[in-house]
Amino acid sequence: MLEEALAHLVRGIVDNPSDVFVSEREQRRGKCLDVRVHPQDMGRVIGRAGRTATALRTVVTALNEGRGVRIDFLDVAER
Amino acid sequence: MSDSTEIMLDEEVVVAEIDSEPDSEEGAGKLSGQRLLESEGDAAADYLEALLDITDLDGDIDIDVEGNRAMVSVVEVKAGDLHLLVGDDGEVLDALQELTRLAAARETGERSRLMLDIGGHRAARRAALVEVAKVAIEEARKSGEPVQMAPMTAFERKVVHDAVAEAGFISASEGEDPKRYVVIMANQPNLG
Repeated sequence: MLEEALAHLVRGIVDNPSDVFVSEREQRRGKCLDVRVHPQDMGRVIGRAGRTATALRTVVTALNEGRGVRIDFLDVAER
Repeated sequence: MSDSTEIMLDEEVVVAEIDSEPDSEEGAGKLSGQRLLESEGDAAADYLEALLDITDLDGDIDIDVEGNRAMVSVVEVKAGDLHLLVGDDGEVLDALQELTRLAAARETGERSRLMLDIGGHRAARRAALVEVAKVAIEEARKSGEPVQMAPMTAFERKVVHDAVAEAGFISASEGEDPKRYVVIMANQPNLG
């Protein structure tokens, strides 16, 4: 559910929604979601002074019932 | 010198399409006024509706225009249902508002200043703030001294300024965010 919710939140704010991919990784410290976006949308998802990235983290953490979730933003070309 | 000449930005100018009668020549090709606010509201509602769907949360979405802003409210079907999307201090609500504004802006091509409320959080906060403002206005009136209020967010200051203006007093904001606060001036403006 978290992956799907995050993918939706990101797709709604970028120019290339079909290039948005979210995958989940379990880490020792909890969940980490990797968000891949079109290189031109990188600035969009991070926002001025990281504002948009912070907003995404706040919402996803809330949906995870307050347990912190790490979100990494990657260029869709990165492996 | 030639190095410092202006660089042309090849930003695409997004022109929102209008499918009904064209506006006056001034607003040609662009959404304007009421119609812009309505399409902001619609885009916001779609974005939130899909989120509720994915997260399996129940809520009804109301779209309204308040002053010159689109106002989008997600109403709880059962009290407390949407607390998750508000947060203890409204921090989740603020984050969602930010994202919803971006989603609306992507649809309309214009920056959005829409207001999002969830589960009546802002409405309740507004009512409480108006009470606090009333006490402070009374204090300013009695003491004849300016009254400094606690630091508030932009939304909260706006509510206080409106309440102060309605009482016929003048207020100003001072300080820098996040410590910016409202000062209520002691003297009632001369209305004569």
